[in-house]
Amino acid sequence: MKVTIDGVQVELPAGTSAIDAVFHAGQDVPFFCAHSYLSPVGACRMCLIESGSPRKNPDGSFVMEGEGDAATPKIFWFPKPMASCTMQATEGMHIRTAATSDVVAKAQAGMMEFTLLNHPLDCPTCDKGGACELQDRAFEYGYGASRFGFDRRHADKHYPLSDFVILDQERCIHCKRCVRYFEEVPGQEVLDFIERGGHTFIDTEEGGLPTGFQGNITDICPVGALLDNVARFRGRNWEYDHTPTTCTLCPAGCSITADARNGRLERVVARENRDVNEAWICDAGRFGHVFASEARLTKPLIRVNGELVETGWDEAIAAIRAGLGGMNTADLALFLHADSTLEEGAALEALAALTGTNSVDHWPRYPAEVLSNATLNDIATADAVVVLGADLGAEAPIVELRVLEMLRGGILPPEYAHGTAIADLRLVERPARKPEKLAVIGSASRLSGNAGTFVEAANVDLLTLIRPDSEGARAALNLLNSAKNPVLILGADVLNGASAGAFATQLSDLVSRTGAKVMAIPAAANSRGLAHLNLVPRSGGQGYAAVNHTRAAFISRLDPVATGQRPSGFTIVHDTHLTATAQAADVVLPAVTNYEKRGTTVNVEGRLLPLQQAALNAGEAADLTRTLAALAEALGLRTRIRGLKSAQALLQTRLGVDVTDLPEAGAIRPLGPVYTAPTGQVHRPQLWTERMTLKPDSWKATWVDRIESLVENKWELPMAGSSLAGGDD
Amino acid sequence: MTYFADKQPLVADIFSRYPGSPQGRRSALMPLLREVQNAHGYVSEPQMTEIAALCGTTATEVRSVMSFYSTYHTVPTGKYHLQVCSTLMCSLAGSDELWDHLVETLDVQPGEVSPDGRFSVQKVECLGSCGTAPMMQIADEGYYENVTPSKCARILAALHADAPPTPDNLVPVTVNAEGRQTLANGEMVGASIGGLSPLTGGTA
Repeated sequence: MKVTIDGVQVELPAGTSAIDAVFHAGQDVPFFCAHSYLSPVGACRMCLIESGSPRKNPDGSFVMEGEGDAATPKIFWFPKPMASCTMQATEGMHIRTAATSDVVAKAQAGMMEFTLLNHPLDCPTCDKGGACELQDRAFEYGYGASRFGFDRRHADKHYPLSDFVILDQERCIHCKRCVRYFEEVPGQEVLDFIERGGHTFIDTEEGGLPTGFQGNITDICPVGALLDNVARFRGRNWEYDHTPTTCTLCPAGCSITADARNGRLERVVARENRDVNEAWICDAGRFGHVFASEARLTKPLIRVNGELVETGWDEAIAAIRAGLGGMNTADLALFLHADSTLEEGAALEALAALTGTNSVDHWPRYPAEVLSNATLNDIATADAVVVLGADLGAEAPIVELRVLEMLRGGILPPEYAHGTAIADLRLVERPARKPEKLAVIGSASRLSGNAGTFVEAANVDLLTLIRPDSEGARAALNLLNSAKNPVLILGADVLNGASAGAFATQLSDLVSRTGAKVMAIPAAANSRGLAHLNLVPRSGGQGYAAVNHTRAAFISRLDPVATGQRPSGFTIVHDTHLTATAQAADVVLPAVTNYEKRGTTVNVEGRLLPLQQAALNAGEAADLTRTLAALAEALGLRTRIRGLKSAQALLQTRLGVDVTDLPEAGAIRPLGPVYTAPTGQVHRPQLWTERMTLKPDSWKATWVDRIESLVENKWELPMAGSSLAGGDD
Repeated sequence: MTYFADKQPLVADIFSRYPGSPQGRRSALMPLLREVQNAHGYVSEPQMTEIAALCGTTATEVRSVMSFYSTYHTVPTGKYHLQVCSTLMCSLAGSDELWDHLVETLDVQPGEVSPDGRFSVQKVECLGSCGTAPMMQIADEGYYENVTPSKCARILAALHADAPPTPDNLVPVTVNAEGRQTLANGEMVGASIGGLSPLTGGTA
């Protein structure tokens, strides 16, 4: 299909919208309401273009203009500008944008003037300023001056839709993106326009937005109307250091941008990754980052006279050497959190080989490692999904969102020269959902409410599905059997009970009978990657469940004391915060969070995703790779792995993957055999942890309370004194 | 007790007018709202939630639909709900003065009900009676047209005596069994569908 945009002819697939044709040809139109993953509705009327098509005579020949060989098909132009986001480009269509058409330029400037009529001029105090679609487009396509000399609409500027999202009703331009998002993506009709005309505002009648995926509306709001309350008033967009990285709160591995300012992590926003999270992230990933900047350990601590005191790394290494004095290095058990990077895992594996210890473990993990062969896009485009023993909302929320995408047809927007289609005309408002394509077996969850078949069962294993003893389970098995591209999702309830031998046989039997692809949700962000390294207890060694019985233990970012265990021997804790375990430790080494690491993580699909370092103030904190190098020094050993480069070189030989050239969206690579061992304890997935929410007093405080407390505490504006120390130069 | 708990036949009748699909059930939203409002004069939040549950939607959607129309009320209304047109034509003809007069003499503001429970007032947009401006209507009883101060005083006096004068123009227009539109007093308006003949070619 050939389409001509501003005189440039491009070849496009059928079904392309006119707005995508324009961007594909390298031209530009302003738009506010269109969004790649939402239905195009033509609400904002900014994407106006002039368009025309050739017409055919009754005999099938084109209506021509011109004489002889110079004749070309005559273009019949629409009499008025058209909204390009809701119009399909057709064969031979001609399009003029504002670049070549004064009519379009004037129409867009006029629309912009309408949009700005009631929009307050508070850009200087608006969090969106500097990254605002309306601001940019008003600059590019507006008249530059307003003819509106009357009072603007006044409405509530601090209207909390929930604890996390604050609505400024004055700034809203009624693009309806947030309303459509809730209807179409999580399928919760909790936001809608109230009133009409100039009085229209966004509100909910449900007593607040549901926690889960609400934060995404702050990303897609083209103006500063919907703002992330955790990041609100924390910085201007140009002050943030934007770091493209990967979220490691769950195994989904969503692409995020970590925005830091003055060494604090102030905001997390979603980054598009067509294969993983599309454009969405969950609320935990967006709002649960506060721990990264609160109460961090910045210096090593050693125990002096029974008290932990701050010290330097050299003293801490000396304290470790003294504490372990004379002990066989093989007696030092090594435990790490399973959201550590592959590089860190490789470094720990290498150190374990040096010390000769058999007590190595990562946690959380499951006793059997089921390697998923379904990708997240497979789930979205499947024709049947059975969820067995998983609470996806707690284990991997984005997987839940992709399952919901499957229910509404699994339409993945195509890709053009400018990226993902801006308006995919196949997406419609109020999509028809097919709940009969989803069966959920397990405990009741948010997803089970959307399932055509739901079997409430406390103890779930593969046999529940293989030998169904209830109507619902039989229906779920039938669903798998009769579908062409079914996907089976396995969660914690199943995987906790998986024993190495029987489980694998049952699963391969089920897979060969039904042809289903499998997605087993790993226990932690990088459990799947670390399973390819020998980080499980070897024969004679202690697992993490037996941390009490180790003679000495190095524990990286795990908190066994909080779950009732108490390491009895000499304990070295490597953590970001002074956890209960750290408080009981002999030496505490400061760690960095995953927002401040370079490295590689492996998500639920087996996709290698890069982590980048956000500019956070972490004092002397070090990642596990460098900490293990220090530990080796304390043990009098010489390890080759002393930093990121050497760890990545080790990964190259160890797993045969080059993690230094990963594309930004990650890549699925085979990683070789896996190591498994019994765990000795059950993993209960929990997405939100206590440290991820702000303290209740500062959390709930209103601005009035805040100002009252400032007044009561006799707060004064910090002013430079009349004479500066060191003289006034 | 919820409003529709003991009105199952009525609910079934309303739903029978629409397809049984999820989308079809949502169509029953407007008549259900009308039922509640006819009974109570307004629709309260618990009733919005109840209607949402009946239609398989959310209270947000119900409120969104309700708030679009000025004829649904979320706050209690009086026995006589006076709606004054405030759009251009009526405004030029003195609807602002009419409004001020109403608010002052009845001592009631929009959203309130007068102490005797009789009156509530509301400004609405054009009701299509521009030729007889200024106008006001009592709920859906009918239009009072060319409402001058003396006419307003007469109407209010009659309403105080609970003897509302016959409106100048009766609404609503309903469609009877023969497909004819009729006013509330039985007067036929418009054309019947039986009398229609095609405009081009062929025979009727």
